[in-house]
Amino acid sequence: MSTTVRPRVSRMIPPKMGRRPLLSDSWRRRLPLLPALLFLILLTQVPFGLSVYYSLTDWTVVPPGPREFVGLENYRELLRDDFFGEAIVTSIQLTVFPVIAALVLGTAFALLLDRKFFGRGVVRTMLITPFLLVPVVIGLIWKNQMFHGLYGVINWVIEKLGGTPVEFVSEHPTLSIIITLIWQWTPFMMLIMLAGLQSQPADVLEAAKVDGAAPFAIFRQLTLSHLRPYMELGILLGAIYLIQVYDQIAVITGGGPGSTNVPYYVFQRSIGGGWQFGEASAYSIVVVIASIVIATFALRVLSRLLKGEAAA
Amino acid sequence: MSGDDATPAVGERRWVNAALGGLAWITALIFFFPVLWMVLNSFKSEQDANTSPKLTFDPTLDRYREVTESAGGLLSFGEAFTNSVVIVLVSTLIVLALAIPAAYALAIKPIVKWRDVLFFVISTKFLPVVASILPLWILARDLDLLNTRVVLIILYTAINLPLAVWMLRSFFVEIPRELIEAAEIDGARLRGQLTSVILPLAAPGIAATALLCVIFAWNEFFYAVQLNPVEGSTVPVWVTTNVSTRGEFLAKLSAASVLACIPVVLAGWIAQKRMIRGLAMGAIK
Amino acid sequence: MTEVRYVEATRTYPGTDTPAVDSLSLDIADGELLVLVGPSGSGKSTALRMLAGLEPLDAGAVFIGDRDVTDVRPRDRDIAMVFQNYALYPQLSVAENMGFALKQHGVPKEERTARVRETARILDLEPFLDRKPRQLSGGQRQRVAMGRAIVRQPSVYLMDEPLSNLDAKLRVQTRTEVVELQARLGVSTVYVTHDQVEAMTMGHRVAVLRAGVLQQCDAPSTLYHEPVNLFVAGFIGSPAMNLVDVGDARPPRIGESELALDAALPNDAGKLTVGFRPESLRVGDGPLPARIRTVEDLGSEMFVHVAVEHHGDTVPLIAKVSPPFEGTAGDQVGLQIAGTTHLFGEDGSRIASPAATLHSPGAVSRS
Repeated sequence: MSTTVRPRVSRMIPPKMGRRPLLSDSWRRRLPLLPALLFLILLTQVPFGLSVYYSLTDWTVVPPGPREFVGLENYRELLRDDFFGEAIVTSIQLTVFPVIAALVLGTAFALLLDRKFFGRGVVRTMLITPFLLVPVVIGLIWKNQMFHGLYGVINWVIEKLGGTPVEFVSEHPTLSIIITLIWQWTPFMMLIMLAGLQSQPADVLEAAKVDGAAPFAIFRQLTLSHLRPYMELGILLGAIYLIQVYDQIAVITGGGPGSTNVPYYVFQRSIGGGWQFGEASAYSIVVVIASIVIATFALRVLSRLLKGEAAA
Repeated sequence: MSGDDATPAVGERRWVNAALGGLAWITALIFFFPVLWMVLNSFKSEQDANTSPKLTFDPTLDRYREVTESAGGLLSFGEAFTNSVVIVLVSTLIVLALAIPAAYALAIKPIVKWRDVLFFVISTKFLPVVASILPLWILARDLDLLNTRVVLIILYTAINLPLAVWMLRSFFVEIPRELIEAAEIDGARLRGQLTSVILPLAAPGIAATALLCVIFAWNEFFYAVQLNPVEGSTVPVWVTTNVSTRGEFLAKLSAASVLACIPVVLAGWIAQKRMIRGLAMGAIK
Repeated sequence: MTEVRYVEATRTYPGTDTPAVDSLSLDIADGELLVLVGPSGSGKSTALRMLAGLEPLDAGAVFIGDRDVTDVRPRDRDIAMVFQNYALYPQLSVAENMGFALKQHGVPKEERTARVRETARILDLEPFLDRKPRQLSGGQRQRVAMGRAIVRQPSVYLMDEPLSNLDAKLRVQTRTEVVELQARLGVSTVYVTHDQVEAMTMGHRVAVLRAGVLQQCDAPSTLYHEPVNLFVAGFIGSPAMNLVDVGDARPPRIGESELALDAALPNDAGKLTVGFRPESLRVGDGPLPARIRTVEDLGSEMFVHVAVEHHGDTVPLIAKVSPPFEGTAGDQVGLQIAGTTHLFGEDGSRIASPAATLHSPGAVSRS
């Protein structure tokens, strides 16, 4: 039997009995999460709690009044408020249309970009730019440069084609804002869908080609189902951000019928001039409750996304 | 799938490929046009910019000079730019410092309730910003933080943190479990695992996350204009000061807009490939 | 003196009902190379990970040397592990990969460099010390993974299918090197594989696992000649043992031919399965008719695959013959058994291993 070679130089682990670690395993796992979690809880739940409290008072700032507890009075007012109903309709319009349109356009752009052609990088660079711009810039540029009644580019094209110029901002406020939102968010969807297309497993596509499938059939049956989770993520993230749109409304129309969504309405009722902090808080709380309801529905989407991962 | 050469796939007709390439170009040019026109307008005189669209003109840098000279008392470009840079960089760094360990706790050594935590984290974004502004404004006033950079740094961290945690978690989940186990057996604790395994492997994903945080923080307007209307304010707020109620201002506005957008646009252009790769790597699973 | 002991170690994954590893008790002697083998899902990797500290135990204990390490973190167990996919740190050089653990434990730089260099010399890795893993071939990466473990001079080596990702020829070559190395280093090693050939050629002892339960742990030859149950008999040996279900007919019959055994069967034996290895099956003019399906010619030995009509089904059997062999596919031949036969009861356990021969129908029952 050959001699064993074990030149021990410095022992790395001194022999001792098994050590019990200081914290239990589950607390050690939680520790790295705590700073972020505490920070978030503090900065989101505290304002939320305060808002709930304000919503139950009749607090007015201008003219200054005492802050008295009025219970659910503000909420009853809210139910009678027609403007609030209009704001909800506008919110839905300003969320649903841009999300869907941006998703469709973004997917189309991604498909175009998924092939090789001359100058592909430049084209992609051009297409992602709108998402990188400052939203107030988007609003101001579209309002003054594109939509302008007299000098706007769009109207110049319309005139050249023989039509009559359109006053976009004053006559079609909702549409104007929707156009800017679609323009801004299409690149975002495009990026997500590009990522989805790039992550398609090549061998499945190759097998389909060898099996003789036509390109459109491949797209419909393989690609679309692969892209589903990406689309869901795009819709989810897009909706989260679009519900809260404020910047474009503020600089294009400054509120007004047809372009006031719920966040803007709340703003108008509070620090935007209404100074009814109590009432405005009630509106905000209603928005929060509605968001949670929608979110629970979105949760099913989310947990399908997450479950799909656990199964993987 | 990469590269710009025009070789079509086997058997694909050349003209189809060229036609689709041409379609892509036309689409991109139309889509990009407003930006292009804005840049052109920034070099025009107000007269040229406010008449029917002209392609030929005498270019001038006067508009840029106008918007960047200090306008005593009001917010100047220099001030706004510095504020924005500081606020965005600091808040992004804080976001990463908080989100990376959090993602570790949700992806690599996941806690039992990671799904619930993830949902809570994303749900904080369901709360409209306009809802929180009232108590935040009052708190900021009471803590003497109105018109400071600090308040925006804190708030931007809070609005970007959920997205960062979500994205970083899905990148970390992609790291092969064996590498973490090998590092563990080799004696590396959290810091060692992070520096030797996680950060190098997840670098594209971290870059993509950081870029998104920079985009959202730089472009943010509402908190900035409500809490810091004059001092400590940011570039987006400064841009809106270039809109006049009388006279023509489109060229000036264009120049201001170009200046406001350049940093993030450049960052996005440079990082776009990395961002796509980062997103493809595992942002969505 | 470092032995390793599993004492009734059990692990059930949350959300499942059956344990992945069920009351495993195993002693590994100091310096022994013990192989854990079994099909996928047998729990062999889980058992290894329990020893590594990467899986917690739900019951039982694990000992390394005298220490109960059941609750000790992996980094404090003084073990080193070689992973199936090598798990090399991609951005570190080969030298840095091998020195990583030493660095984490605070070993001074000169000593680190010396030990890394020495290990690299043993494994012929010296020319690659400055390369990154992506610049190495599969075989080279495998050696770096081994080197990373060896340089630590731990009490126990753990190897999780370290050769599975190598191509066939390299695998056979590396097998011998690993065995030699282990003998030289004299450190207890627990080695997991799904390949029973690897298990048989490498281990001092081999532990066969199935669905989390230890079937048998013995030296390779014992496993081969004295399998404790049907599963071990069918798993160990390549090509696999011929297994024929003969029911409770007495004398046992294969097809129409009767088996004469040189030992009496217990009366309550019940339904039996008969097993005999390919080398025990003779192809020629024996009493059991069969049809040749294919003939495999490996040069030094040949395997004849035959089909036999038994209980209404066509049962495939394999016979090992030495060249030259004249038969081809489609030929009708007669089979005979010469050598040990194993008899397995209804519960799969081995009842007896008598010598047996086949006879034409009626010959045995008449006598």
